[in-house]
Parts: sequence; C-alpha cells; structure tokens
Amino acid sequence: MTNDELKSKIEADFKDKITSAVISAQKELIVTVKPENYLQLCQALRDKGDYLFQHLSCLTAVDYPKENKITVVAHLWSYKYAHQVTIKLDVDRANPKAPSLEKIWQSTNWFEREVFDLYGVVFEGHSDLRRIMMPEDYTKFPLRKDFTDDGFIIKPN
Amino acid sequence: MTDLLLSQIKGGNESQFGTDEYVVNLGPQHPATHGVLRLVVKMDGETVKETIPVLGYLHRSIEKICENRTYPQCITYTDRVDYVSAMSVNLAFALATERLMGLEPPPRAQWLRMVFVELQRIASHLLWMGAFAGDIGALTPFLYGLRERERILDLFEMTCGQRLTYNYIRIGGVMIDILPEFVPKCRAFLDYFEPKIAEYEELLTYNPIFLERTRGVGLISPEMGINNGVCGPSLRGSGVACDVRKQQPYLYYDQVKFTECLEPGGDCWSRYRVRMREIRESVSLVRQCLDRLEPGPIETKLPPILKAPPASEIYSRIESSRGEMGIYLVGDGTAKPYKAKFRCASFSNTYVLDQLTRGWKLADIMAVLGSLDMIVPEVDR
Amino acid sequence: MTGEKIIQTIAAFIHQILGAAGLSGIIFIIDPVLCAVAMFGFISLFVMFLVWMERKVSAHMQSRIGPNRVGIFGLLQTVADAVKLTIKEDVKPIHRDVIPYTIAPILAFVATFAGMVVIPFDKGIVVQDLNIGLLYIIAITSFTVIAILSAGWSSNNKFALLGGFRSAAQIVSYEVPLVLSLVPIIMTTGTLRLGGIVDYQAGHRWFIFSQQAIAFFIFITAATAEANRAPFDIPEAESELIGGFHTEYSGVKFAMFFLGEYIAVIVSSAVAVTVFLGGWLPLPFLGFLHLPGFVWFMAKLVFVIYLIMAFRWTFPRLRVDQLMDFGWKVLIPIAILNVLATGFVILLLEGGV
Repeated sequence: MTNDELKSKIEADFKDKITSAVISAQKELIVTVKPENYLQLCQALRDKGDYLFQHLSCLTAVDYPKENKITVVAHLWSYKYAHQVTIKLDVDRANPKAPSLEKIWQSTNWFEREVFDLYGVVFEGHSDLRRIMMPEDYTKFPLRKDFTDDGFIIKPN
Repeated sequence: MTDLLLSQIKGGNESQFGTDEYVVNLGPQHPATHGVLRLVVKMDGETVKETIPVLGYLHRSIEKICENRTYPQCITYTDRVDYVSAMSVNLAFALATERLMGLEPPPRAQWLRMVFVELQRIASHLLWMGAFAGDIGALTPFLYGLRERERILDLFEMTCGQRLTYNYIRIGGVMIDILPEFVPKCRAFLDYFEPKIAEYEELLTYNPIFLERTRGVGLISPEMGINNGVCGPSLRGSGVACDVRKQQPYLYYDQVKFTECLEPGGDCWSRYRVRMREIRESVSLVRQCLDRLEPGPIETKLPPILKAPPASEIYSRIESSRGEMGIYLVGDGTAKPYKAKFRCASFSNTYVLDQLTRGWKLADIMAVLGSLDMIVPEVDR
Repeated sequence: MTGEKIIQTIAAFIHQILGAAGLSGIIFIIDPVLCAVAMFGFISLFVMFLVWMERKVSAHMQSRIGPNRVGIFGLLQTVADAVKLTIKEDVKPIHRDVIPYTIAPILAFVATFAGMVVIPFDKGIVVQDLNIGLLYIIAITSFTVIAILSAGWSSNNKFALLGGFRSAAQIVSYEVPLVLSLVPIIMTTGTLRLGGIVDYQAGHRWFIFSQQAIAFFIFITAATAEANRAPFDIPEAESELIGGFHTEYSGVKFAMFFLGEYIAVIVSSAVAVTVFLGGWLPLPFLGFLHLPGFVWFMAKLVFVIYLIMAFRWTFPRLRVDQLMDFGWKVLIPIAILNVLATGFVILLLEGGV
C-alpha cells in the first residue's frame, strides 16, 4: 500500500487510539500513539492481513530534554507488502516507562535493552531488562542530552 | 564481573554452578569470535545449555559522537561501524542524509556507488568465507579468499587511496572520479575471479566433513527468523525474500538485472550457499554497472554548510553485506544530526545465537556464529 | 654396501675399541644404548626437517611462500623455533597439580619416541627387532592418553580439561580400528616382528597392492586421529578451545607436546610404510637403481607424511561426536569385515591355517 492508503487505513482502524498519523516531508508515515494503546496497535499491525508488519526494523529512542520527553521510535516493515510505518511513543523524561514489545516481535529484546542502557527507559514486561553495552554496574545513561562523562577524563596536572 | 553478570541474569541467583553444568567463558580475546565478543556458555559436558553474549567490548559511542559532528564529518565515522564492508555503511549514511535534505546525486555518481558497493560485497563475502571455513577447521580457503580480496582492495586503493576505511561515498556523490585504468583493471579482475569461485565451492561445498559440520546445524525457520530480526543472507538462507535492493530499490537497482539468492534449507550450509551465490550475482552486477557508466559530474552542488530541515527525520535502509543496514537520522535545522542511529544487521542477527545453539555442541556455536556473518564493530558500534 | 653391512662394520669397529680398552664385558649394554642414541640423533634431525616441510607444504598449498629467511629456503627455521621455545619464560598456572603438570609433556614425548625402537630402516638397521614389534608399538604409543589427560587435568583450566577429555576419548576409540587394520597383516604373515613382515612382502607383493588397500586407508585415518592431527584435531582446535590440553604450557614443555605429535606421526607413518608399503624394499620396477634400502624407506616415509600433512590443510575439522561416530560406526565395522574377509581368503587359499 502507498503511504496515503496506509495513513487513511490506520486512521480508520485506530481512530481514537492514535494521537496523530502524519506523512512527513521525507515521505514517511509517522504514527504517534497513546501509551495505553501501544501494544494493541503493534499487535494489530503485525497480525492483521492488510498490514502484516512482520519485521521490526529498528527500535530506538530520541531524547527531547526541552520538551521533557523521550520518544520511543519503532520502524516496522512488511516483507509481503513492502510498506513501512514509524510508530512513536512519548514517555515522560523524569520517569520513563514504556510497554515492552517483546511478546510481539522477539527481536525487540535487544533493541529495548539498548534503549534502556543508553536512555534509561524502563520497558515493562521485558523478560531480561539489563544493560547491554555498558558495564553492568554503570549508573548513567550515555545517549541522553545531559550526559557528562566527568570521571572518565583524567585531566593532566 | 562474571559473578555480577550471572547474578543479574534471570535464574542466575540459584545454583549457577549447578551439579552438572559449568560455565565456560569464550572470552573477548578469542581466535574465532570475529572480534571482541564475549560468550558466556553454560555447558553440560559437551552440550551447550545456554549461550549469553556479552557485548560492549568494542563500543565506541559512534552514535553519540555523530551528534556532535556535522553530516559530512560523520561519514568518516561510518567506515568504522563496519570496517569489513565500509563502502556499504558510507553509502547508507550518505543516502540517509540525501533523503533527509532532498539532494539528488548525478547518475555517474550513482553508478559508481553501485560498482563500489558491489565490489565491497564481494570482498566482504570472501573474507567471510575464509573466516567461516577457518572456524570449521579448513584453514586454507582463508588464504585463497584473502588473495582475491587483495585485488579488490587494490582497485579501491587506486581510486580513493584507502584499503579499509574509505570515506569515499560522500553526501551528494562520491569523493573523486575513477582513474581511466580502473574500468579495464576491474573487468580483468572480474574475468580472473569468476572461475575461482567455482574452485572454492569445489573445495568446500560438498566436502563430507564440511557438510556434516554445517548441514542441519543452526536451523532458522522463516517465521522464527523474521520474528527474531534476522536479516540479510542469513534470512535468505531460510527462503525469505528480504533483499532491500529488491523491496525498496535505492540507487539504480531497479534498472539492473540480478536475482535474489534464496535457499530453502535454513541451516548453516544454506547460508553458506546463499553467500557464494551472492558473490556471483555481485560479479554480474559490477559488469552491468561498468557497462552503464557514462561521463558526467560525480558530485551534486552542495550548500557550503549542509543543514537538515527543522523537525525532520528519516529511516533509510540499504542492503549491506551482512543484511539490512538502517540509518535513522533526526534533523533539527542545524548542521549536526540531532540523533543518528545505526541499525546494524549483526546486532539483530547475533540475538538468535542463543536459541540456535541450545542443545548443540560447543563446536556448533562456532559454526553458527560464523554462518551468521557477525562482526563485532557492527554489534557494539 | 647394504645397510646391514654398514652397521656391522661400525659395530665391529666399536667392539674392537672396547675390547682394546678391556671393556668387552659391557658390550651387551653399549650396543643398544649407542643404537638408541644414534636413533635419537637421527630422529631429532628428521623432526627438524619435518617441521620445516610442514610449513613449506602448508604455505604452498595456501598460495604463500613459507619460511625463507632463516637459512637457504628457510631450512634453519626449526632451529630458530627451537631456540625461541627454549629461552621462553616457563609460565605456570599457580593452582596447577605439580607432578602431573611436569610429567605430562615428558611422557607425551617419551612414549611416542620409544616406538621408534622397533622400526626397521633397512635390513639390520633397527635398534631392537623385537619379536612382538607391532604389539610393542601399539602398546607404548597408548601412553600418550595418560600424558594428555594429566596435562588437561593438572592445568586447572576448563578449556584444557575439555581438550583432555576429548582427546582421551578420541585416542582410545581410534586405537581399535588401528589395531584391527593390522590384524589381517598379522594373520597373513604369521609374525609380529616388523622385519619379518617386510621379508614376507619381499617374497609376495606389497600389502597395499595385494590385499590390504582398505586396511592401509583405515590405518592412515586412525593414525591421524591418534596423533591429534586434522581433521581430528578437536583437542587442540584453535578456533574453539585456544589450545586444548596444552593451553597452559609454554616454552620447552610446549615444545615437547609439539614434538610428541610429530613423532607420533613419524611412528605411525613408519609403521604404515613397513607394514603396507614394503619397508626398505625398492619399488618393484625400479629395483635396478641399486639404492640402499634405507633411501627407499625414507622416501616412502616422506611420502606418507606428506599425505598426512596434506589432510591437515585440506579438510575441515570434525565435531567431537561426529568424530566418535565415524570411528565407532564406520571404521570399526569396515575393519572387522576386512579381518573376516582376510580370514576367509586365507582359509580358501591355504586350505586351513
């Protein structure tokens, strides 16, 4: 389906569950969803016949300190229909919690661990949420915009 | 550290050193883990019960660094994300930036990009073949693969001066035009190389020992593969048509003829066959692209400072040698990306290692890891 | 001048000297000791040559050149390696089990070396032509299992232990086809004495041509597995277990394991040459060259060793359970069938033993 068809179909199927569905200037369909409907939307997108987004390409997060939110971004791709959609979920920056997509696409296991490691977003329902790149006893979240690496730099005398 | 790690893993607090199982650390420095990957393997005698990859030994925070560099400066970092297949990552980032900013490179640049990316695919697969055979125990194909790869690296060096980290494919085109002797030398190489593929296949493909080590080992079913994020040749070895060049054609892949190599088996041997066939397809692709090369500019006119439109983002995918490489860029109106995410094939491919090796032997971990064509800089970035 | 004559001349000379010094009483001790020392010297030189040969053979198979700096064609490379290994620091793990740790390399080396005692290089050039030559070789080379197990255990290292277990299982299971492939020879010749087997082949055709080609291949395969060489080198699989049972050894001790493996190859190849390829006998149609039997033996020995080396650099490695499957389920049945067939043929041809 083309982006326009997808957009109208998603708006028709999930009208009150999503905050917005926009086609960006770069011709991508970006759907922002409310936290309580996140899992439902993703499950439907994976399983329903016209969507069949079987492949989760990427799950990452973007830090917006000025708007006090962290956006969890998931890119979905369908091998059958060759269409793509981006799902965004805004979480509160002070206490970032999001539902885990692990039961739907198992590949999110590591993607969500990486987001937890680098941004601090806690994914509820994840089977094994622990750090993946940084050492186990690391306390900071490196990819946040207010990250400072004091303590790692040894300044010469 | 291992205690801390094991105690955090679910179930690790109860007898992690149980009666019959013991924990072996295929440590970061290891001849076969394709880089600094640490595998904590819980074994029962010779049988593997669980494989826990520990990542992060090669984490160089490339994504964070890219947030503080301008878009052209980021291209140099992309080489290091996958140094075995650097042209592909260069291309991925350049394409992503061009889509973000609405730039269109000239045709000659696009054809040249295709030539180099496909040559890079051949080089990467040759190195993979050597490493995979070496893990299985056949030490000779490694030398043969490297011998051919040297010729490809000579072609690269002739063009951009570098053998490993090229920084050649730039935003808006390529860095410099090819020398006049490039095309005849490239054709000569392809003519020399094509019969060699048959030689290497004869050495390995139907060798009884190789078959025993790889047939039936590491079975990925199509559903399990898609759900677990396997991509690229590893998924094509299970019969799933997932080539980005066919599904979402970039450059001029919709104007050239090539077949997507699919194998139904789903085991290590099928993945090996897929990659050997892909080498042949790439040879044919390079020939077609060289035929279509026409004189022209190699770079489009760029503004002095490349700025992304405010509040823009793009997720752009290409088919790198290992699978789907996706670049997610968020632009905020400045010359530096607000966020750059590298979605690398090896990261998602390595996730299935645990599921594939449970109940198999230690030697199979090496076979499976080799067949997934994982390299660590992609996993850790 | 046949080999026998040369040895007799030298022996007579030494006896003369000892007699003149009034020490003729200890001739019966001096003789074997001198033979053993001569054998030791010769084998050491031969091993040096073999190490160089392996590196050159592997290099040329891999489209490389191999050692070519140290000496002409790199012939002194082994000397350089030996010197390097000797002056290396002897790194020992702290919590090792001292006695097995120290004894293991020595045992590995000595056990295989002792097998060279009965190999006849020519008619009469043999340290001791025991009546039970074949049995002696098989028995004494089995000591390597103890050496490898103690190395693996005493290193206090999981990888070494795994390597030791794998190796012990492998060697013990490939002993059976090794012996079974030699049984038809013993049945046909009626003797365990290696010199006697070669004499039999002088009168009849060589065993590899006449009846026991299958046994030759079984023997070579089992011998490669005995020496832990590829494609059966799981115990030292570099890409999996770093070094297997010799992970924690360095310097001279490592050199002894290394040498032990080469000497195991030499012993097995020498047995193969003696038993299947006619020992010191000249090639049937080249007998007119009148070369000493010693030269023929060495030529055949180098050929068989080259075969074993070529295996290493051509084939991938078998997984441990596949290796055991192959030994127990393929080699042993074939070897048993071979024994039965030989017995049947002997009954037919000679109307009962």
